[in-house]
Amino acid sequence: MTSPATFYDVFRQQGISRRSFNKFCSLTAASLGLSPAFASEIAHAMETKRRTPVIWLNGLECTCCSESFIRSGHPLVSDVVLSMLSLDYSHVLMAAAGHQAEAALEETRREHAGEYILAVEGNPPLNEDGMFCIVGGRPFIEQLQEMAAGAKAVVAWGSCASNGCVQAAKPNPTQATPIHKVIKDKPIIKVPGCPPIAEVMTGVLTYMLTFDRIPPLDRLGRPKMFYGQRIHDKCYRRPHFDAGQFAEAWDDENSRKGYCLYKMGCRGPTTYNACSTVRWNDGVSFPIQSGHGCIGCSEENFWDNGPFYERLASVHTPLGVESNADKIGVATVGVIGAGIVAHAAASALQRARNPDNAAKTGAGE
Amino acid sequence: MTIQTPNGFSLDNSGQRIVVDPVTRIEGHLRIEVNIDESNIIRNAVSTGTMWRGLEVILKGRDPRDAWAFTQRICGVCTGTHALTSVRAVEDALAIQIPENANIIRNIMQLTLQVHDHLVHFYHLHALDWVDVVSALSADPRATSELAQSISDWPKSSPGYFRDLQTRLTKFVESGQLGLFRNGYWGHAAYKLPPEANLMAVAHYLEALDFQKEITKIHTVFGGKNPHPNWLVGGVPCPINVSDTGAVGAINIERLNLVKQIIDQSRVFVEQVYLPDLMAIASFYKDWTYGGGLSSMNVMSYGDIPEYANDYSAANLLLPRGAIINGNLNEVHEVDLRDSEEIQEFVSHSWYSYADEDIGLHPWDGVTEPNFELGKNAKGTKTRIDQIDEEAKYSWIKSPRWKGHAMEVGPLARYIIGYAQNNPEFKEPVEKLLTDLDLPVTALFSTLGRTAARGLECVWAAEKLQYFYGRLIDNIRAGDTATANTERWDPSSWPKDVKGVGFTEAPRGALGHWVHIKDTRIENYQAVVPTTWNAGPRDGQGNIGAYEAALLDTPVDNAEQPLEILRTIHSFDPCLACSTHVMSPEGEELADVKVR
Amino acid sequence: MASTSESSKKSQGLLHSLVSHATEVESPATKVYVYETPVRLWHWVNALCIVLLCVTGYLIAAPPPSVPGEASFSFLFGNIRLIHFAAGEVLALALLYRVIWAFIGNSHAHQIFLPPVWSIKWWGEVWHEVRWYLFLVKVPKKYVGHNPLAQLAMFGIFVLPLFVSVFTGLALNAEGEGIESLWYQAFGWVFALLGDSFTVHTIHHISMWVIIVFSMIHIYVAVREDIMSRQSLVSTMISGWRYFKDDKE
Repeated sequence: MTSPATFYDVFRQQGISRRSFNKFCSLTAASLGLSPAFASEIAHAMETKRRTPVIWLNGLECTCCSESFIRSGHPLVSDVVLSMLSLDYSHVLMAAAGHQAEAALEETRREHAGEYILAVEGNPPLNEDGMFCIVGGRPFIEQLQEMAAGAKAVVAWGSCASNGCVQAAKPNPTQATPIHKVIKDKPIIKVPGCPPIAEVMTGVLTYMLTFDRIPPLDRLGRPKMFYGQRIHDKCYRRPHFDAGQFAEAWDDENSRKGYCLYKMGCRGPTTYNACSTVRWNDGVSFPIQSGHGCIGCSEENFWDNGPFYERLASVHTPLGVESNADKIGVATVGVIGAGIVAHAAASALQRARNPDNAAKTGAGE
Repeated sequence: MTIQTPNGFSLDNSGQRIVVDPVTRIEGHLRIEVNIDESNIIRNAVSTGTMWRGLEVILKGRDPRDAWAFTQRICGVCTGTHALTSVRAVEDALAIQIPENANIIRNIMQLTLQVHDHLVHFYHLHALDWVDVVSALSADPRATSELAQSISDWPKSSPGYFRDLQTRLTKFVESGQLGLFRNGYWGHAAYKLPPEANLMAVAHYLEALDFQKEITKIHTVFGGKNPHPNWLVGGVPCPINVSDTGAVGAINIERLNLVKQIIDQSRVFVEQVYLPDLMAIASFYKDWTYGGGLSSMNVMSYGDIPEYANDYSAANLLLPRGAIINGNLNEVHEVDLRDSEEIQEFVSHSWYSYADEDIGLHPWDGVTEPNFELGKNAKGTKTRIDQIDEEAKYSWIKSPRWKGHAMEVGPLARYIIGYAQNNPEFKEPVEKLLTDLDLPVTALFSTLGRTAARGLECVWAAEKLQYFYGRLIDNIRAGDTATANTERWDPSSWPKDVKGVGFTEAPRGALGHWVHIKDTRIENYQAVVPTTWNAGPRDGQGNIGAYEAALLDTPVDNAEQPLEILRTIHSFDPCLACSTHVMSPEGEELADVKVR
Repeated sequence: MASTSESSKKSQGLLHSLVSHATEVESPATKVYVYETPVRLWHWVNALCIVLLCVTGYLIAAPPPSVPGEASFSFLFGNIRLIHFAAGEVLALALLYRVIWAFIGNSHAHQIFLPPVWSIKWWGEVWHEVRWYLFLVKVPKKYVGHNPLAQLAMFGIFVLPLFVSVFTGLALNAEGEGIESLWYQAFGWVFALLGDSFTVHTIHHISMWVIIVFSMIHIYVAVREDIMSRQSLVSTMISGWRYFKDDKE
């Protein structure tokens, strides 16, 4: 094997002209929402850097994050894996298996200690000594912690790694745990969503590779550039919301006119994600545009905030009856109202019977 | 020590043990162990599902209208198929009739998945078992171009195209950072393709990687995103509005044109790239006839793609339905998902416990308590397993059986059943393929047969996409734009206590969901998925499942590089997140779960 | 002549209440000045805001039927939300003002913020009041300010939920101001405490119902006591003076 190639070398080796390379840099800058001036910075970075090793681990998950990743339209995922980074371990795509796969992991851990990015899809279960998820005969949590120890930074792909997601929904039988609770000493970039948008995934990685820094994160550790605003804040149906124009039922006149899906339970107002701006699959659509409300898949606890079609979450009452805040509220108001009426009647009765006594009573309310 | 299994296989675990863990290029976590004899022939095989998420436990007490979203997260690779199965199960329970357009759009989404999933499987999860990437470096681009042009009209086939690609590949390899191709079994004696075929295949690996994302845009149009598009109990969530004010907010002619264009492109890609590649690769591996396993004996399909809405009888299903046992192709048995005597799950060798582990339970009556324990002959410790003991419990997957038989499911099963039923849509392409490759029918029952059936089905699905697109246009032209039935949307309109079953043919095979709804909430939910059928462990009688059966009698060229094991396992397109699930029907607490 | 007295000494603030309980009176003066102007003003501003907030809040959670016309032509829902936010901000400011007044007002001014839950004697008096309302006691004790049960109710199902409403409301408003805003820096911690935005919405919603339930009881008891106990309640919140109607001059 010969000398290490830089990003730019790889581009040139692949027969890509200087002109195309510059064009790529400006497109990358644009897709990251950066000013054109950044294009030269990107170009410089690519000319001088060796491809960063990326280790992609899978815990308890459904592989929707890997699937989403390969949907990236800009940059194309073939360019990402061949030219931008070195995907040294990926359960889903790598050629090697068994101990050859484990060896690839070990080599990266040894040879690139402190240099590689650890990308985690899914999360570790803690129950049953971690054996609800076994890799190479060992609990996944061990592999995760070993690889995190040598990583430069950790990317938490999707809601599983960031928030626990579906296997951590109540009652969380495997004690599936988001990775920030088991990796404490590394910067973690959370990229939630079930899955995250493809171009957001590649955008976060290319940001880190290009600028050699972690993107600015919000309070919860999500990149502000993609998770700084709610879907509702930039929804193209927002004017219908402000006007008070809502779809009232599936396939009704209003939904055919593209009215706001708020009454159908849309979680856009409480969900931080880039769906309404970046949109999905190269900008083709996003859930609301295709007639279904947002289910809030990038938010913590979204599975336990259902039903997805109601504005209020179901609440388990101590009596074991499913209900929501309004139903409980109305019922309580009814009971209290009835109590008041009964109490008033009893008071009137007592007063009628016992005018003297009543006259002497008194308690400041 | 040699054991004879009731379903006709002989197992011998005396030879050298080979462990493959993790099995990569699959969905989820799988471990395979085999024993090889002194001639390096596999004489014993053990398939262990190594993950469990407990999704069905989590579903209990939820709103059944939400169940599609939870079950969709069983798997992000076959995204949508669980959701479709779920809405069908709930609609079955609540007797909801869906509009014709909803059925068509659902079929379009399911067929889109078939096309996408099969394509990605062939190129990105399976091809590297047959294609040597490093060998492609020594190919002659001109000869590669001639090869490509001799098998297909696909335009990207000039010598210059292949030369550029080869240059790119060479520089990539020379960079010393091999990324995903690191530590592959390059140069392995079991790779049989000439360098030119390897180069062509690598070119198409990259083209398919870039093209697959286009196919999924059909999901994005109708479901808003992919992976994990949105579904709806009672229909589909996307309204149709082609003529009136506000049409831009719904499925309109611009959206339909996009769908049409993707269907056209997909058909071209599948017919001009996938199928010719499959044929070309297969022609070099005709001698590699291993991996048949159960396929020549027991196969099953529930059927799918209802041509018209709300009729799930076999006659209305475009994908065939039925079961074949003991290799008797002359008799295709009817499959009844509701019959408690037909589909049953066993746990004798699974990490769960039943009160009586000798009996199997129908999904509506299933019991599951996790019970993780290694057999006494296992090597290693609880959290560092060196070798599994297959005499004891050894997998997070249960063993489903149809009338007591271990069955293989998947594209090959569907094609064998379609073939046995003399359905020309399935029989004719199979016969053409066999003729073109000059192979007997029995060649179907193999690893390669599984891979070939998947390719044929991909072509079929792309054609059917076009058919249903036409049906959708016809309906809209006739003035029918309904996409959802909301009569029973409100839970107050539901019966108090009902059960339902929904089924589909997922890309990997027969998929069923069983739901019990009580007082408007999910009382019990159970999914029996294709990989459970195929990858499940032995049952109490000792019958082995499809993976284990398929691995037997295969020669392994190099025990250190068991490429042949990957080949056969990958031909099933494993999906482990799907297969490992559990629901405790009466809602009892999972006894073994400790909270730390 | 009616003897009047400014009830207790002024400006003892919250510290005072650590030792003083509800002011039980043995032989009250006929007329006592209980609620100072700021407290009365707060009460009625609060009442108005709560009515506005509940009505608009309900409509925000369950919007009215859609309006016709182009979306840009109407701002109905936007206006409903605007009223809600405006009333919410007034309510929050009023609460702040009221908290400050608890420190500087008379001894009644801080009663509702700090029930002496550590005092066994006080719980005994709560129990007495409970029995009074269950008609088990014929002669109640007289209090110048809130009786202990009322004090507990005020604190538990009014003051606490009011704080919850205000903080969750301010946090939700902070989301609208944007995560970079000062507002969000001031109230973003609510999300760290309670979880995701949706959960905060749910809690905000539940607190509304608690306040509605409180208001019903509050109005009923005030009217009832006004009639049954022969002492002024409703008018006291207007004039500030409590009259003991049966005490002889």
